[in-house]
Amino acid sequence: MSAEALPLLQVTDLATWFHARAGVVKAVDGVSFSLKRGEVMGLVGESGSGKSITGFSIIGLLDLPGRIERGSIKLEGRELVGLPPGELRAIRGKAISMVFQDPMMTLNPMLTIGDQIGLALEAHESVSGAEKRRRSIAALAQVRIPEPDIKIDFYPHQFSGGMRQRVAIAIALLHRPRLIICDEPTTALDVSIQAEILAEMKELVAELGTALIWISHDLATVASIADHVCVMRYGKIVEAGPVLQVLTRPQHPYTQGLLDSLPSRAKPGAMLARGAGTDAAPPPRLPRQAESGRRSADLPYVVIENVAKRFQRKSGVLRLLAQKAGLAGPLPLVQAVDAVSLSIARGEALGLVGESGSGKSTLGRMVAGIYAPDSGHVLLDGERVMSEGEAPHKITTRIQTIFQDPFASLNPRMRIGDSISEGPLAHGLVGRAEAVTYVAQWLAAVGLDPAFAGRYPHQFSGGQRQRVAIARALAMQPDVVVCDEPVASLDVSIQAQIINLLIRLRQELGLTLLFISHDLSVVRHLCDRVAIMHRGRIVESGPAGEVYDNPRDDYTKRLLAAVPVLPVA
Amino acid sequence: MSQALPTKEPLPAKEVSPTARFWAEFRESKVAVGALVVVVLMLGVAIFAPLVAPQNPYDLANLVLMDARRPPGFIGSAGYTHILGTDAQGRDLFSAILYGLRISLQMGLIAGSLAFTVGVTLGVGAAYLGGRWEAFIMRVVDLQLAFPAILLALVLSALLGQGKTQLIAALAAAQYAYFARTAHGAASAERSKDYVEAVLSTPLPAWRVVLKHIFPNCLPPLIVVATVQVASAIALEATLSFLGVGLPVTEPSLGMLISNGFQYMLSGRYWISIYPGIALIVLIVAINLVGDRIRDQVNPRLKR
Repeated sequence: MSAEALPLLQVTDLATWFHARAGVVKAVDGVSFSLKRGEVMGLVGESGSGKSITGFSIIGLLDLPGRIERGSIKLEGRELVGLPPGELRAIRGKAISMVFQDPMMTLNPMLTIGDQIGLALEAHESVSGAEKRRRSIAALAQVRIPEPDIKIDFYPHQFSGGMRQRVAIAIALLHRPRLIICDEPTTALDVSIQAEILAEMKELVAELGTALIWISHDLATVASIADHVCVMRYGKIVEAGPVLQVLTRPQHPYTQGLLDSLPSRAKPGAMLARGAGTDAAPPPRLPRQAESGRRSADLPYVVIENVAKRFQRKSGVLRLLAQKAGLAGPLPLVQAVDAVSLSIARGEALGLVGESGSGKSTLGRMVAGIYAPDSGHVLLDGERVMSEGEAPHKITTRIQTIFQDPFASLNPRMRIGDSISEGPLAHGLVGRAEAVTYVAQWLAAVGLDPAFAGRYPHQFSGGQRQRVAIARALAMQPDVVVCDEPVASLDVSIQAQIINLLIRLRQELGLTLLFISHDLSVVRHLCDRVAIMHRGRIVESGPAGEVYDNPRDDYTKRLLAAVPVLPVA
Repeated sequence: MSQALPTKEPLPAKEVSPTARFWAEFRESKVAVGALVVVVLMLGVAIFAPLVAPQNPYDLANLVLMDARRPPGFIGSAGYTHILGTDAQGRDLFSAILYGLRISLQMGLIAGSLAFTVGVTLGVGAAYLGGRWEAFIMRVVDLQLAFPAILLALVLSALLGQGKTQLIAALAAAQYAYFARTAHGAASAERSKDYVEAVLSTPLPAWRVVLKHIFPNCLPPLIVVATVQVASAIALEATLSFLGVGLPVTEPSLGMLISNGFQYMLSGRYWISIYPGIALIVLIVAINLVGDRIRDQVNPRLKR
């Protein structure tokens, strides 16, 4: 057989197990696939499916207690399994290289970009100093970094996230590897940066003839870059084939389920087909206080008026003295939110969309009464959310918050039942005697076993914790809920369940939502109106359908164009 | 079809409270368990000293001057063996050490708790209030940390005079700053976490946020500081008593026993100083070993 006919990479029956104290974890269990020269393969799966471990196994970066149990990995016919560490090192970075999710973790903060590229060059070649610099600059230019001859002397912290990822890609491409493995390379990046990286990666791979394994949880990004796709679950490949075929005519029920979990493929506002497990009890209602004092329904319900927030690093004593003496200027201000005015009608869901640093979370926290605005104010039904004066504090309980990270938003030292009942007890919504029943009703309403009330947050999975966090917020019987990226850190199928839960609870309780997200498809699915935020300002707002179909603002247009789309059957 | 996606997520792990997990991990270090046993044992004999000790060393009627400065193993006129010998007044040294241990531990624990309460209140309060209060409290703490604790304790006990209360005040004043700084650091980190923002958005009264949410999550590093500071309070008290500015002669702690025997060291009667010294060292090392283990456990960088 000629070398040309041989596949570049042949993985046969690969099994990588972790021998932990609690038992054997079969992270990868019998995976086989092959990759031709210059081919792009997508490896898709939810967390724990074994997709990253497959990548690590190929490049030989497994940490104990992980071990390749059986199977073979052949690169151009050469067996990699069982190769001594020295020989693996000679292959790693030269024939196969890897790009990781978080470039801040893989770049050394103490070395300049040039030094790091130089080190990577020296690992496999002996080059002179001048040659090193020339090739480093060329490498940066190749990944479209502007002014590479200046940027080469920068440190990683001087780059943005997207630029850092480009540097990581430049290093991976340095020795013209035959295979690059990218492990969630755009997950930590904003959509517009992701779109750029995807486009550049596609060009580079075509230009250099490098094969690529693109590991991701996101079907849409994989669809936009890969030729072939393998869907993994529980350490096994459940379905493989050409991207278009797998994503438009999925054969395996798991793939079908994954696709059905995506809000972008469902009718806006409808329950997601695969978000099962939300057939729960109705939420407990309490007799509302101050029902009579409500204003008429057609007036704006939540009014955000000229709200602004700046963040400034605190000046130390020395700096204050220097400022007084005119030796130093004030520290730079970060204008997080710049005079934003918005209103939400009663029962409406407003989606607040923006990329990281746009100020959307800061605005959400001001609406929720966690941060006091520097100027302007937020009114709910004509009442102020925060008190006025020197030290403003929140004075209403009618706005509650659900946070992004359910691992951080629950007190780790408090039983979840106490977390849920604490607020209602403190505000006299329920008495001590009824608290236990009330908590049980809420747990049932969010689809959890009421018997879990005595457990601690660490005993729950991410989706379950998010249900607890939802119960805690809603147990305060709010009229308005600020949701700050409530599904961003969840797997697709769990995300679908939480979205369905939110849709159901919103209907049953008649909630008004401020839904903050970077994910345009989730917002379109859940929200009636959207507001697009960019650099602390609202650049465009209107009914969801209108903004998505006919964006008027340039930034909105760019943002919408950057979202990767799934092929439609 | 229905089994294609997990309709239910995996059931929660077996119910283990954070405390139970902590002990399960603590038990993995044999050295730490041994040290803990020693600490508990010494606490036990100190509390029950009147029952364990063969003699009440403070009851002058029990002392026989003829038995003074006898070596370990000497059978005294009362008929029992002085296993660690006797001191200059004919006291049974073993009994004196037990009673001394009692006073030393008492001083260390009371001064430690006082320093803990004051320091943690200041530190957590500063972190929660922020702004000018935070700056003021923490600069005072920084200023104090610039001086060695022993110097401060010496000056204070010289100013306040001798006595248990005065010494406790001096020790606590010298040590609260360590608690304040640790508490401030931990509380500042906790304050910006999502779960604190969640209860701020409920909203809950400030005292509840601080006591129920911020404080319990600051405890791990504070427990470490507390164990180390109790040990260092005991050492500090022993130093002051050795120098004669600590406790009055009527309350002989370990430090004073060492001091009393010091003059006989060169005449070969080593035991009067050495045995109380050994007791002091064992106690301090054991407490520190327990503290080290807790520190390793609460440090996420050392977690497997």
